[in-house]
Amino acid sequence: MSVSRNQASARSEARPLLEGTRLAMRYEFVGARDGSDTEAPYVHSTPALVETSLGVSAGEIVAIVGANGCGKSTLLRALAQVAVGPGVAGEVRIDGLAVAREQAARVRAFVPQTPDVTADFTAREVVRLGRFARGRDDAAVDRALAAVGLSARAHRKVDTLSGGERQRVAVARALAQVDGAERPVLLLDEPFRGIDPGEVARIVAALGAIATSGAVILSLHDPGLARVVATRAMIMRAGRVLFDGPTREVLTAATLTEAYQHPMVECADWLAPEIAGKGTMAACSTV
Amino acid sequence: MNSRGFVLLAAVLFLAVLLRILIGPVSGDEGTRLVFAVPSAEIFGLRVMSVASAAVVGATLGLSGLALQTLLRNPLASPFVLGISSGAGFGVACVLVLGYLFAWGRVPWATETLGAVFGASLALLIVSRFGRGGDGHNPITLVLAGVILGSIFSAGSVLLEHLVPHGLRGDLLSWMSGRLPEIPNATHLATVAGLAVIAGTSLARSARALDVSMLSDDEARSSGVNLAQLRGKLFWTGGILAGVAVAYAGPIGFVGLVGPHLARRVLGPHHALLVPGAALAGATLLVAADAVRQVIDLGSGRLPVGVLTALAGGPAFLWLLRRGAIR
Repeated sequence: MSVSRNQASARSEARPLLEGTRLAMRYEFVGARDGSDTEAPYVHSTPALVETSLGVSAGEIVAIVGANGCGKSTLLRALAQVAVGPGVAGEVRIDGLAVAREQAARVRAFVPQTPDVTADFTAREVVRLGRFARGRDDAAVDRALAAVGLSARAHRKVDTLSGGERQRVAVARALAQVDGAERPVLLLDEPFRGIDPGEVARIVAALGAIATSGAVILSLHDPGLARVVATRAMIMRAGRVLFDGPTREVLTAATLTEAYQHPMVECADWLAPEIAGKGTMAACSTV
Repeated sequence: MNSRGFVLLAAVLFLAVLLRILIGPVSGDEGTRLVFAVPSAEIFGLRVMSVASAAVVGATLGLSGLALQTLLRNPLASPFVLGISSGAGFGVACVLVLGYLFAWGRVPWATETLGAVFGASLALLIVSRFGRGGDGHNPITLVLAGVILGSIFSAGSVLLEHLVPHGLRGDLLSWMSGRLPEIPNATHLATVAGLAVIAGTSLARSARALDVSMLSDDEARSSGVNLAQLRGKLFWTGGILAGVAVAYAGPIGFVGLVGPHLARRVLGPHHALLVPGAALAGATLLVAADAVRQVIDLGSGRLPVGVLTALAGGPAFLWLLRRGAIR
């Protein structure tokens, strides 16, 4: 597998487990026209994702990396088929089949960037909601809670948990959703936000277990973590995939400098932003 | 299943029913006084119908409130707070005034009900549209939009009242404050009850999907819930039930707000319990309010039950605000 610019079009593996074809999304909002002196309302139509096609095979853990607003979340939402509206286009196939979102929920789970629950559920009850498509399975719920280290807090109300714990509840709900699927697909948008390193390691192990038979695609802000977690990386910018390939080859100082439009420095096994006049962050100060 | 919660609600309902049936005015040489006694068979029959009337309307409002709270993911949503009851009242007032102006004679109750459902749905559409902000409904904007919309519809109803003669105007005014009929019409009552049963059964069949819809939209959709279909069901359930309840008894406030909250407190957040629970709690609240109004004698007849529910439900609403029910 080699690094390719633009799209993962040159892949030669057997049929991908998850395929997105010509995925696109536009956001519309009303505001003043750029460069105009008048304040007359003007409908802006901004492409958040520009006709993107990709395929992810079983066994892969794919990290999507890029600056804020580059389209990572939009791509994941498109693959999860949760985006609705006139600006949404493209087709998603799982195991070669274009199935409705409701059917796809049996094998594909998604954790959005900001999980939420407005009812007074316990952690366990939220995780159990993940079994909506596949049917009740208390053992699957227990396994999912253990995978994120929340077994001991399973009966706590979600709104009494910390931010990181709530995030883990959302990940556990997704794990429970695909528990029992032959070839599961897991889509996670910034899944480690607010989670301590020990628990990150625990969840990474769970994702590895999913990837033995299925595929995991996750967005990450930290390219260093992406190097450790993922087997393949995509770098996005302005709604397009700029680079795609094996993690070590894609996530380099040069590609990330282009992605973030800011000098990046490679130090040991990590990548760090260069801070004007001060070298890099502490860990890389000797580089 | 939280059977203790159901037993508690059922026990309170039983007490309220007992109170409503045993307490009543008796006229004698010293004027009218309240008596706590087993009534005659005829009076007993009338009171049973009154209890049934209050229970059915209360259950209908409880279910409507639950549907709206789930639809808008907002614990402060209810037919009254969102101006939907006022919209339904306006719809009925329109039908009645049109009936008078065009000399149609007595407008059939079914036509009044259609007017109420139309007004309720219109109000729900408007408030839903104005309450939307960012990635969903903003609770504060939604409630504010509902309050303003309710005021507009109420003013519209008052305006319409001035187009009809005094007699009809008095009836309209009394009805607008929320009044259970003194002698319920069995057919009308059966219609409201039938619709409530159909709507309740439909909601109960979607209980698991309703639970999942309490997650964020993206999580609910990716879990396999057809949110558009589910929300369509909740929209029409909330609107139609509020409409028929208003057509039957006028806009009775706060039962649709407090009923579902009461059910959540004693039964928990699962809709498999909440759907029957909200109906039971709504019925309990309105039968209790109807029983309490029997013992309040201001010398000018019984108070409309809507006055009592507003007096009790208003503070409950403020308590919810204080408690941070808005998120």
